[in-house]
Amino acid sequence: MRSGTLRSTAYDDLPYTRGGAVDRTEVGALVRSAVDGDAAAWKALVEGMSPLVWSVVRAHRLSDADGHEVYQTTWFRFAQHLGRLREPDKAGSWLASTARHECLKVLKGLTRLTLTDDPQVLDRASEERTPEQTLIDAEEEADQAERIRRLWQEFEALGERCRQLLRVLIASPPPSYLEVSAALGIAVGSIGPLRQRCLRRLRARLDARGAA
Amino acid sequence: MSDMHGNGFPEEDFDDAGFDGDLLEEELRQAAAVLDPVPVGLRQLALEAYALHDLDARIAELTFDSLVDALPVRGVPEAPRMLTFRAGELTVDVEVTGEGLIGQVLPPQSARIEVLGGPQTTRPVTVDTLGRFTSDQPPTGPFALRLRTGGEVIVTEWLRA
Repeated sequence: MRSGTLRSTAYDDLPYTRGGAVDRTEVGALVRSAVDGDAAAWKALVEGMSPLVWSVVRAHRLSDADGHEVYQTTWFRFAQHLGRLREPDKAGSWLASTARHECLKVLKGLTRLTLTDDPQVLDRASEERTPEQTLIDAEEEADQAERIRRLWQEFEALGERCRQLLRVLIASPPPSYLEVSAALGIAVGSIGPLRQRCLRRLRARLDARGAA
Repeated sequence: MSDMHGNGFPEEDFDDAGFDGDLLEEELRQAAAVLDPVPVGLRQLALEAYALHDLDARIAELTFDSLVDALPVRGVPEAPRMLTFRAGELTVDVEVTGEGLIGQVLPPQSARIEVLGGPQTTRPVTVDTLGRFTSDQPPTGPFALRLRTGGEVIVTEWLRA
């Protein structure tokens, strides 16, 4: 876990070890074990990095069908290349980068065939209800659920670049900046400052909404 | 709003004092886990994908994809997808259309070929003695070709059709 203490403005002081390092130091070892036939190691890799791959897919706003295929393609290819990764320690970046390229391919294919602008895609959060969400609704934590929903709405309404960056950053466990860089094709050094701006933007939106 | 740069990111237009970005990011992370988690079925598929790990197979890498490498042809919006995979001296050309797959192994040679559709889906295709093959089922979703030729197993890189 990251400490919840205030870090002043030093948002990019530890770009390489941020969050993910705690959870991801063992990635290289897990990859090597999985290569040697350890199914539990593979499971740990999937559990640790599935949310990152999913975040990259979601950051690119694909349709559900396309997004699901990109996610699958990424994992199938990862399994295929498992024993051949040049840098097993950077498996997270490999996954993020592969998912990104597949997303870009989908988008390229779409613009070529038809200019799809499915408004339903933009409204997803308010329409789909996950089991977890239903559970929360059922419990007496309605306030909390409402707060989360409002937060998510404002997040979805952010400018596209901010929404994209934050969607990758909020994968769980938190990705390293190297992984974020691979996921979005932006320089590691620019992530910290951009993250800070985008979070402040979101805070401002929430405050404005609260005051209204 | 006038606070957007050309790059789409907002300018620095807020006071930093008292703002805890970490806390907000953590709240957002929790919201994502509740409202937009990895679908259970997808996670399961990723687990099953371990079966696709095959150290003995050579990988034929994608070296040409018309979706990326070819210029769009005006007036032909649904041109077939052309793919080329390469493993050493061996090349596999594949054309994906709405009707299925057509392809060829080069240099020409007999081979046994299957279309993989996931960790648990394989379908043999018809191959002639020169390595030309056809399948009348278009791939739905990610696919790869597994070739057995000259005592070797070669699998093309997984790709979304």
